[in-house]
Amino acid sequence: MIIEIVLLCGLVIFSAAAIIFRDLLRAAICLAVASLLLGILFFRMKAPYIGAFEISVVAGLITVLFIVTIALTKTGGDVRESKTASWAFPAFFVVFLVLDILVMRGLIGKIPALGAAPEEGSFGDVLWKARTFDLVGQIGVIFAGVLAVLALFRKRGKDE
Amino acid sequence: MNNTWLVYMAFAAVLVFTGIYALLSMRNLIKLFIGIEVISKGVSLALVATGFTRNHILVAQALAVTFIVIEVSVVATALAIIINTYRHTGSLDVRKLTKLKG
Repeated sequence: MIIEIVLLCGLVIFSAAAIIFRDLLRAAICLAVASLLLGILFFRMKAPYIGAFEISVVAGLITVLFIVTIALTKTGGDVRESKTASWAFPAFFVVFLVLDILVMRGLIGKIPALGAAPEEGSFGDVLWKARTFDLVGQIGVIFAGVLAVLALFRKRGKDE
Repeated sequence: MNNTWLVYMAFAAVLVFTGIYALLSMRNLIKLFIGIEVISKGVSLALVATGFTRNHILVAQALAVTFIVIEVSVVATALAIIINTYRHTGSLDVRKLTKLKG
């Protein structure tokens, strides 16, 4: 459990750093490191498929998309953030952390454990037989995403 | 096992809080989107951790795969919208979007 807690602390620290850093490139890289730590955590939770997905797609593909966007909007990156917001973040963060710990400590022993039977079969069986509708929905979502990007980057016609 | 779940939930709540703070306080569009990404990390951690502690890791993985696919589609679309907004207004400041007309 100690390794998990170290990974979780790293995840929170890098996510907070991604918010705090003003340089967008550094923020994107911090986000990628946070995804990497989350992926390692998934491997430790005996969820290797989602760990591989997290590392390859979220830490890899989404970071590349972020960096391409930052490169394409280079001159617009100097947006002045509110100083109060960056100054108040640590204070709000500590207050929320204390509240979070108090609430979770209060919940210890109060949530009944569900009597769940262990699962049978492999990940492929569950994904293909039990969640078939999800897979169809995923294909629809991917097509919707592709069409949306194509619509947003379409060439202008002669009459426009 | 219950206590382990609460530890994971506590960290997931911190991640969601961090993302919501970024959404409420930042002005840069890319920073706002980084906030959404942080929230989605917290949610996927909560999904998989719940499956892990309740012996339903396979269903949790199937749900998390769906979640990640949707996340990628949302990221691609939103970043395309951000680039178009930048071309339109010349800035990434979210406050300039209030002045759009027509």
